[in-house]
Amino acid sequence: MFDLLPHLLNGLVLGLLLALIALGFMLIIGLMEQINLAHGSLFALGAYFALMLTGPKPPLPPDAAAFWLQIPLGWRYALALVIAPCLAGIVGIAVEVCMRRTYGKDPLYGLLLTFGVALVLEELIRLTWGTRDHVLPVPSGMSGAFIFQDLIWSTYRFYAAGMAAIVIGLVWLLIEKTPYGAMIKAGAHDSEMVRALGVNLSKLRLGVFVLGTMLAAFAGIIVAPIWGIRPHMGVDAVVPAFLIIVLGGVGSFWGAVIASLLVGLAVGVSGAYASEWSLLSMYLLLVAIVSFRARGLFGKKSMLEV
Amino acid sequence: MKKHGKPALGVPRRTILKGSLMTASLAGVGAFYGPWHHNRAFAQGKKPIKLGLTNDSSGQFGNSGQDEHRAIRMVIDEWNAKGGVLGRKIEWVTADTESSPAAGTRVAERFITREDCPILIGALHSGVANAITQVANKYGTIFLNTNSSAPSEAGENCSRIKFVWDGNGTNFSKAAVANAVKTIGKNWLLLTNDYVWGHSTAAATKALIEANGGKIIDNLLVPQNTRDFTSYLLKIQQIKPQVIGTAIAGDDNKALREQITQLKLDRPGGPAWINNQQDWPDVWGSPQSLFGVFGTSWYHKLNLPGVPEFVKKWQDANKDGPIPVPGNVSYNGYMATQELFRAIERAGSTNNIAIIKALEGHKMSAKDRMQHFDAYIDPDTHQVQQTIYLARKNEKPVDNTDHFEILSWTEPKDVMDDAAPTKCKLVPHDKVPSVDA
Repeated sequence: MFDLLPHLLNGLVLGLLLALIALGFMLIIGLMEQINLAHGSLFALGAYFALMLTGPKPPLPPDAAAFWLQIPLGWRYALALVIAPCLAGIVGIAVEVCMRRTYGKDPLYGLLLTFGVALVLEELIRLTWGTRDHVLPVPSGMSGAFIFQDLIWSTYRFYAAGMAAIVIGLVWLLIEKTPYGAMIKAGAHDSEMVRALGVNLSKLRLGVFVLGTMLAAFAGIIVAPIWGIRPHMGVDAVVPAFLIIVLGGVGSFWGAVIASLLVGLAVGVSGAYASEWSLLSMYLLLVAIVSFRARGLFGKKSMLEV
Repeated sequence: MKKHGKPALGVPRRTILKGSLMTASLAGVGAFYGPWHHNRAFAQGKKPIKLGLTNDSSGQFGNSGQDEHRAIRMVIDEWNAKGGVLGRKIEWVTADTESSPAAGTRVAERFITREDCPILIGALHSGVANAITQVANKYGTIFLNTNSSAPSEAGENCSRIKFVWDGNGTNFSKAAVANAVKTIGKNWLLLTNDYVWGHSTAAATKALIEANGGKIIDNLLVPQNTRDFTSYLLKIQQIKPQVIGTAIAGDDNKALREQITQLKLDRPGGPAWINNQQDWPDVWGSPQSLFGVFGTSWYHKLNLPGVPEFVKKWQDANKDGPIPVPGNVSYNGYMATQELFRAIERAGSTNNIAIIKALEGHKMSAKDRMQHFDAYIDPDTHQVQQTIYLARKNEKPVDNTDHFEILSWTEPKDVMDDAAPTKCKLVPHDKVPSVDA
C-alpha cells in the first residue's frame, strides 16, 4: 500500500492541475454553450506573457527594464500572476467580439472560428517568441525538493496544486454564491428571459468569455514550470480539457472537477505501473464512461446536442 | 435505329462499362502502386542542383532541426561562393517535417515529385527519417540522415539511397555501458522514449548490460511529448536502481533533466545516470540541468586542429542564431552536406548511383573531420563509423559555452554496431531507380 500512496497523491495533484486547465473551458462551454478551441492557445499565451514579465528581457525601454529587473523575482512572479491573465483577457475580448456573430447559430460556426483563432495565436507566438522552448523562472522558495521518508517530491507541484484548489473554490463561489453567477447560469439557460429582465446579455457573455480566458492564462502560468513553455503547449492543454468536459458532462462544474481527478489518478497510477499506458489511460477512461453515460458523469441535455 | 444499350460498334454497353471499370481500376492501381522503378532525369547542364532540406523545425526536435538547417545552409553558401558543385549552383527548398513521420512522408513526396529535388538532407526524429527513406527509396532519391541516431537506421531500416551520419544508440552504449556495469553497479533501470529510436537504443543497451553481467530491473516506456515525469521519478525512487540508462530525446529529455535536477536526484547518493546522447541544442536550452555521463560525436572545445576556425566560421555565418556555438547536431549537418558535394565532384556526375558509389566506403581523415580518429562510411550499412566521445557536466567551464567535460574518446572499431550488418540488407545498385539531377 505504501508503494501505491505516492502515486495516488501524484494522481490527485495532477488531477487538480487538469481541473485548473479545464476550468475556463468548462465556463465557456457550460455557460455560453460555445466550444472554445482557442482555449489552449490562450493558456499558452498566459505562460508567454508571464515569461515576458519574469524573464531576463522584459519588453520595456532600457531604463524601465533595468528598474523592473531590480524587483525581486518573487514579486515579479506575483505580479505576473495578475498582469499576464489581464493581458490575455484583452485578447479574449477581441476573440469574443469576433464570436458574437456565431451566437444562436449552429455550434459548428463557433467551433470553426475558435479553431482558426487557435492557429493564428500559435503562429503569432512563434513569430513573437520563436519556436524554441523556454523555462519560466519561479522564486527559489517554490522550487527544489520536498523530502518525506524515502521519497523526494517537487515542492512546486504542491504549490501548483494549492493554487489550483484555491482557484477552483473561487470559481465555485462566483458561480454558486453570487448574483453574477446566478445571472450567468440564467443567461445560459434562457437568454431571452434574462434579456427581458433587463440584463445586458452581450456584456454578460463578454464577461464570461474574458473570465474563461483569464483562467486559461492563469493555468498556463501555473503549469508552465512543469511542462515548459513552447508554442504548441496549447495543444497539450486543450485535448485533456476537452476530454474532461465530455467525461464530466457539459456544463457541470463538479463534473469537470471530478473528471479531472479521475483522469489525474488514471494517468498517475498507470504511469507508475504500466507506463506505456499512461497517456492512453485517459482515453480508455473516457470510452468506458461515455459507453454507459453518453452525456458524461453529470451531464444534462445541452444546446450542443441539437 | 440503334437499340438502347448497344452502341454502334456492336459491343454491349454493359461490357464497355465493365471494361472501363477494370481499366480505370488498373490505371488507378498502377498510379497508386507503381511503377516502382522510376527513372528520373531532371533538367541538367548548368541548371542549379536543387536540394530538399527535410528538417524538423518544430515539435520534439524543433531546436535541433533548426540547428542542423543552419549548418546545411552554411555549406551550401560556401560552395556557391566558390562556384557551386561541378560548376552548377546549389539551390534549396525546405519545409518543416514537424518531428512527425506523417509530415516527413508528405514533405519528401512533395520535394521529389513537385520540386524535382534529386537529394534530400536532414533528419532528427528516427520515425521521420524512416518515413522519408520509404519515399526516397521509391524514387531512388539520395537521402542524408544527418542526425537521427536510432540503431535501426543503419540496421533493419537501412537503404542503398540513405547515408547515416550520426553515431547511433549502440555506438554510445558501447562506449559507456561496460565500464559503468563494472564500476557503478549491475542493477539497471531503463527509461525509454516510446518510439523507434528509444526502442532500438534500449534494446542495444540491454544486450550490452546483460553481456557484461548486469541486470535490467525494469524498462519504463515514456510516451513522446511527455512533460511531467513525476510518476516515473517516483517509481525510480521506489525501485532504487544503481544505474539508470536513459534513451529520452529532444524536448522530452530537456523536461526530464529539469525535473531530475529539481528533485536533486542527480546528486551523489542517488542513482548514476547514463544518458545515451545529449544533443547540443537541448543542452543549450537548459545547461543548468546537465548531469550524468552521456555521449556526443563532437564538441566545440575539442583540442584539435581546425576546431577554433570552424567555430569562428560558424559564428560568422550564424550571427543572429539562438545558439552561439556549433554543437554535434550542426556539425553532423555540415559534415554530411560537405561530403555529399565532395562525392559529386569525385563522381564527376550528379547521377544518384555514381554519387552513392562515391560515398560508399569513403574514408575521411580525423583532421578533416576535427575528431580524434579517422572515420569512414561503412559500405555495408551506410553509417559513418566515427569517434565516439563520452562527457559529463563541466564543473570548471572556461566560458559560458563550455558545458561539457570530455571524459574519453573511443575509436570507431571499438564501438561498432556489430549487429547492424546482419540486419541491413542493401539492394544491388542496379535495382535502385536512377536519378540524374
